[in-house]
Amino acid sequence: CDDGFEEENTNPDASNQVDPEYMFTKAIYDALNNSTGTVYEFGAGGFVQHFATYLEVPGLGDKYLYISGSYPYAFFNGAYLDAINEIDKIIYATEGVEGLSNQNAIAQIWKVYTYHRLTDLYGMVPYTEATTAFSEANYSPVYDTQEAIYMDMLNTLQSASGSLDANQPSFGNGDLIYNGNVDQWSRFANSLMLRLAMRLTKVNPTLAEEWAQKAISAGIIAEPSNNAIIDYPGGQVINSNPIAFQLRNNNYSESNQGSSNTEGGKFADTFISYLKENNDPRLSSFAAVWVNGSQKTDPELQQGMPNGLVNRPENFPGLSEPNLNTLLSLNSSLMVLGSAEMNLLLAEASARGWTSGDAQSYYLEGIRDAMNSLEGLYGNEAAVSEEEVNTYIASQSLTGSLEEQMETIHTQFWVSVFPDEIEVYSNWRRTGYPELTPVNVTGNLTGGTIPRRLTYPPSEISVNTENYEAAVSQQGLDLFTTRVWWDVEQ
Amino acid sequence: RVSYSQGDKISVKVENQRLEKVLSFIEKTSDYNFVYKVNEIDLLRPVSLNVTKEKIENVLQLIFKNDSISYQIFDNQIILKKKPSVKKIPRRTAKTTNYQQLVKGTIVDDQGMPLPGINVVEKGTNNGSSTNFDGVYEIEVGENAILVFSGIGFKKQEITVNGQTTINATLQNDTEQLENVVVTALGIKKEERALTYAVTEVDGDGFTQAKEVNLADALSGKIAGVSVSNLTTGAGGSSRVTIRGNTSLSGDNQPLYVINGMPMDNTTLGGSASTSAGGFNIDHGDGTGGINPDDIETISVLKGATAAALYGSRASNGAIIITTKKGSFNSGIGIEFNSSFTVDSPMDFTDWQYEYGQGNGGQRPLNQSNAITWGRRNWGERINGQPFVAFDGIERPYVAQKNNIDHFYENGTTFINTIALSGGSEKTSYRFSISDTDTKGVVPNNSFNRRIFSLNLNSTIGERLDIEGLVQFNRSKSYNRSSAGDATGNPNWVNMLANTVDVRWLDPGYDENGYEIEWNETPYASNPYFVANKFKNEGIRDRYLGQVSLNYRLLDNLSVRGSVSRDYTSFDFTAILPTGTLYTNNAAGEYHGFDLTVSETNSMLTVNYNEDLTEDINLGVMAGGNIRKYQNEQTNYDGRQFIIPFFYSFTNLQTSTTIPSNQHLTTNSIFGSLDLSYKNYLYLNATAREDWFSTLTASNGADSDNSILYPSVGAGFVFSEVINKPDWFSYGKIRSSWAQVGGGLPDPYTLNESYTMIPSSGEPLQQVTQVGGQRLLANANLRPYTSTTFEIGLEARLFNNRLGFDVAVYDKTTTDDIVNAQIPVTTGYEYTYFNVGEVENQGIEVAVNGTPVKNDNFSWDINYNMAYNKNEVKQLAEGLNTISVANSVGNWAEIHHEVGQAFGVIKGYSMLRDDEGNIVFDSNSGFPMRSELKKIGNSVAPLSMGLSNRFKYKNFALDVLLDGKFGNDIFSVLNVYATRFGLSKRTLEGRENGLVLEGVDQNGDPYTNTIPSTDIRSYYQNLKNYSDHFIYDGSFVKLRQVVLSYNIPVEKISLFKLQSASLSFIARNLFVLYSKTDNFDPESAYTNSNAQGFESFALPRTRSYGLNLKFKF
Repeated sequence: CDDGFEEENTNPDASNQVDPEYMFTKAIYDALNNSTGTVYEFGAGGFVQHFATYLEVPGLGDKYLYISGSYPYAFFNGAYLDAINEIDKIIYATEGVEGLSNQNAIAQIWKVYTYHRLTDLYGMVPYTEATTAFSEANYSPVYDTQEAIYMDMLNTLQSASGSLDANQPSFGNGDLIYNGNVDQWSRFANSLMLRLAMRLTKVNPTLAEEWAQKAISAGIIAEPSNNAIIDYPGGQVINSNPIAFQLRNNNYSESNQGSSNTEGGKFADTFISYLKENNDPRLSSFAAVWVNGSQKTDPELQQGMPNGLVNRPENFPGLSEPNLNTLLSLNSSLMVLGSAEMNLLLAEASARGWTSGDAQSYYLEGIRDAMNSLEGLYGNEAAVSEEEVNTYIASQSLTGSLEEQMETIHTQFWVSVFPDEIEVYSNWRRTGYPELTPVNVTGNLTGGTIPRRLTYPPSEISVNTENYEAAVSQQGLDLFTTRVWWDVEQ
Repeated sequence: RVSYSQGDKISVKVENQRLEKVLSFIEKTSDYNFVYKVNEIDLLRPVSLNVTKEKIENVLQLIFKNDSISYQIFDNQIILKKKPSVKKIPRRTAKTTNYQQLVKGTIVDDQGMPLPGINVVEKGTNNGSSTNFDGVYEIEVGENAILVFSGIGFKKQEITVNGQTTINATLQNDTEQLENVVVTALGIKKEERALTYAVTEVDGDGFTQAKEVNLADALSGKIAGVSVSNLTTGAGGSSRVTIRGNTSLSGDNQPLYVINGMPMDNTTLGGSASTSAGGFNIDHGDGTGGINPDDIETISVLKGATAAALYGSRASNGAIIITTKKGSFNSGIGIEFNSSFTVDSPMDFTDWQYEYGQGNGGQRPLNQSNAITWGRRNWGERINGQPFVAFDGIERPYVAQKNNIDHFYENGTTFINTIALSGGSEKTSYRFSISDTDTKGVVPNNSFNRRIFSLNLNSTIGERLDIEGLVQFNRSKSYNRSSAGDATGNPNWVNMLANTVDVRWLDPGYDENGYEIEWNETPYASNPYFVANKFKNEGIRDRYLGQVSLNYRLLDNLSVRGSVSRDYTSFDFTAILPTGTLYTNNAAGEYHGFDLTVSETNSMLTVNYNEDLTEDINLGVMAGGNIRKYQNEQTNYDGRQFIIPFFYSFTNLQTSTTIPSNQHLTTNSIFGSLDLSYKNYLYLNATAREDWFSTLTASNGADSDNSILYPSVGAGFVFSEVINKPDWFSYGKIRSSWAQVGGGLPDPYTLNESYTMIPSSGEPLQQVTQVGGQRLLANANLRPYTSTTFEIGLEARLFNNRLGFDVAVYDKTTTDDIVNAQIPVTTGYEYTYFNVGEVENQGIEVAVNGTPVKNDNFSWDINYNMAYNKNEVKQLAEGLNTISVANSVGNWAEIHHEVGQAFGVIKGYSMLRDDEGNIVFDSNSGFPMRSELKKIGNSVAPLSMGLSNRFKYKNFALDVLLDGKFGNDIFSVLNVYATRFGLSKRTLEGRENGLVLEGVDQNGDPYTNTIPSTDIRSYYQNLKNYSDHFIYDGSFVKLRQVVLSYNIPVEKISLFKLQSASLSFIARNLFVLYSKTDNFDPESAYTNSNAQGFESFALPRTRSYGLNLKFKF
């Protein structure tokens, strides 16, 4: 009585096999399109005062208020449900399969990239037991300490990078970053290793130095030609630059003309003022104001919105927004990891005496690479001319004590790595630069200090209760003020 | 007593027609009804008859002249019974000298009509006789004998002979003995007394006066144990009916609907509304919305698994059996016309504060920018008529606007017309009906139209073959159904307009360019007039319901029946978020649509055998099989940003996707039943069914457990037939049954993981297949679940049927329930199916009916029903204590199934308190800390009742129905926002002098925080974090229905051969007599999913009143 039932119960619109390449493309997209609105504009981007919003509902980043919505935890949910689950499927499908070792190694590197952003935002997260429900029927993954996760990520980068073999097949076009080029992936792994190593300067400088040196000697992304960049063709939402898409969706569009604004967002005054005061040519690459129905990029017109407002300011329509033709172009490109950041980290490593080379040279090279990358990422309108680059660089120097140099490097990092807000926020927590003045509105959840992490989703509290509670008892209360492992208070 | 015209003349002309058709014809063409035991009468016996305007008595004599059937007539009831076995009473002859005397007489009823077939027995002996057709008997008896006259339908009477030679008697009706025949599973008719489980039948007339557009809503309050959630989703919306509580944690818990013996599809096409979405989060309507109440002959509600065991898994929540009207043989064209018109007026439950007006920090808006930012805020000045500037920049006096609900919503109208033609020739009968339902909703530009064409044909071919066919075609069109849940595109957020703003200032909601006019700080709270005037959604649904069944009688007591039915719906839906919608990307709008076809096909073959094993024992056996195929093929069209503004075509979108989805499933079944009856008081039945589910069949050869065999047994004992009972005790029966029903998984393709390509304008993309937008973890180890019911019932009728009651107690436990459980996202998935749930329902149902007054002109009938159901979730998955079912907007409250609690508890937060009860404050924010997530209420009402009264005076009748539910809670999102925005009266405290908050801080030290009056908003805004502030007791009593009808005395009108006519005043949902909710209707559900317990800006409840006119020619 059940003849033909197997076929009847097979989805005609799905296949029963993972295609590692097609799923890898999805995993790349998903790692980067995760919660770009909630984290970038209304979370981390507000904490570091790149963005401001006068409304209260999206006011987590701006005012450290939490009214409703998924602002604190959307990233957590999105990471596991999409990118991490997908990358684990690829690793599972390619593990030990002849001819797929490079795919497996690249997937492992991408997994580290995906996880480090997650743990940097939340601290302890499920890692070793995450996404094992399918293979091992584990429905309640334990939380690993951030220390353990960092150690494993560093080791994974080292081993995966070491196992790449140019003579073996690799991903093809499905690898949106390097087209399967294993040498480039090796540099990417080492660069990520440097990023992670430098993150440990507060909590364990020795370890930081050890891994930074490992990374540098193995070869990092030092030239713009090595940059990890994803081009977005536009079209479907998933094929569009996710930051541009979400910011347009939330606030900025031709029709709104700067005035009617869904979530009440603008560039923050802190960010715009800094760029103006330093005659930074990138101001006109990023920012624009609406004048008579079109966006004007003239630096003197630019003005940001103060953080911490609870009412719409009178001059709201005339405040600076992201430029629709550059930063918010749906087919603009996205910098995943680039030489500008690496050079700035090398400048710090050099200033600490962890590597050879001149700290100031690295610093200036970082700025140059950052400015030169804009045209490639955002098109002609974002281009910074050679003359402007040189003028700006001529005004810069890296001198003074280590602390003074740190301030110079990481204030520059705050501009140069924009709009990778998760990385900028992590770097700010580690270094404390640039010095930002927190706001203190009634009812804020941090007592008027900038949050040190995001909070876990309510679903973990209700359906992964024991592990959640164990994590909270180990890490500290699930609050915005609790610090993650590497963010030692100094 | 209303007397029926005994002189009603009958005309019948048939040749070799089955007896049941002839009886049915007489029922249709006269006021007479037949009452009989199914097993006693050979309904299939051919009858030939040719009479014109003949008295019923003569017609009956002709029909039954050679039959062993007796008949008795009183009022309009004709009782058919096997002739008393006169021959079997030994008749002593005159040889016995004890018998000295011949007694003769005539027995009549209280109308003076002679009674044939009455037993006449000499008391204490076996000596007996019976009356002939003229009611005359004779018997030889001893001198001091006592004669006992008895007959079915009459009270026994004893008369002492005392030397008389002629004894005439008038027997009184004993109506309590009348037996109803009810329709049970697979369309099998059974006498009520033969049932071993609870069945309640409601006559079709109960639905045709004060109509609900969705038939299922009309069941509200009428039947013990049947709970109806009256959704407020507008005309054409769906219903939620549960019988004896919720039994499955993941299933929809609604009963199976069956039309004329064949299941129909009752899914909410396009999905139920969710509790937190916006935009076009609408209720598309379900299958019962496609039934014309005027086509209904009866509705039988099979409450328990026992009754439904033959229908299989989908009936584990009970079954609702709809029998439609049929034409009669040998009749001319009969025409029925039924028309009703009601006005549906929105009810305003709000009771806001009107002391302080629009504004912020104690200031009223003095410029347009502030007026917009403060569009929903009521933290302004004391309302005193002073000038202020509104969102449109116009200066106006600052006065309270108390009638915004009345001003925004319109009166809706519902106009329902049905015309039916019926008739038949000797071998064929037909009934054809057309109905048109036209409603205008309360939100401007919302309307719903439904047309139903229905044709029922019955035909007899030769002597042994019968064909029955039903074809129904529906077309319904809905325009601009209202969204519920979140604010986006939901016009019902008009409730949140500031209290000094007149809603009409927002009209028409768009500017000269057609763009939405901003009236508050966030475009997510749409301008209600813009939504009403510019948003468009349209659903066009075509439904074809076809059934054909053939019945062939191999022998007189053996027949084979085959039937095929197909319920096919095609549904096209488009929702346009128009150009100018401020919350859409670039205000360029969005397009959402789907085309779907859904079909359910059932093919069934049964063999029926019926045999009298002995004089006293009757055996009925049935065996059969069924193949059910269900297909749902849907293509979703979604896109954003219309390229050419205001041109709303799928071809005109910046980005768009087209995604198909196909769901196929098959369930194969075999089943059988056995019925045994002993005399007329002991009944036994047993059934068994085995199902095979394609949805539980794993691919790639995994050994899956996809079938289940489940039995049921039941017994009924009419003890009043065998015990010595007092006179006032007319009828008593006790019944008991035990049944199991197995169930499968509703969704296909979830046993094995699969991978889907998704639309990409770049490189190909593959992802793990999602099911209904959920990341569902596949589980290949699922097996069928089992629902086991045990019930005991007691029925009794007392005092000559003036009082009756029916009590049932039951225990219904679902084991191995397939649970759609939320799992941590850190698994990579959100949900999976586990096979471990256990849910128990224990309950009691009481139905009492009585006739306190009954005389020639006036009668009063009263019916009361009550049901109490105690539900407990006994077990979820191992290590899993709670399952999250749904979240409110903002996640302030959640619906969970939790071990040890009832199905669907509401969970939320309260203020954290220390051991001494002090509120613990967070010294960072200055506000109370929040407790952990905990239970704050129950979403399902355990207790429900209904009370209906029917008064009849001459040609007038008044029906009044009250119903109520008790013991559930509702989380009100409306009140969260009304508090946040300062509309709620609770926000008056602290407006002048601020609030002093006292308690302890995190360290337990005394803590005080003073909130200045200018910042009082921050306090009330923060209250939403403590969900228990917004929980309300959902208990209510409502005056559900009032119908005052007048039967027009047509015999005085010789116009157009009018047979009957009535005119009624009808009203539904008139008053809330008891309620504990603030600002909203306690029945404010907007989704028919399991996620009950939230109120969230649904349409207002409407009070409907109007007229109904019925004619019969």
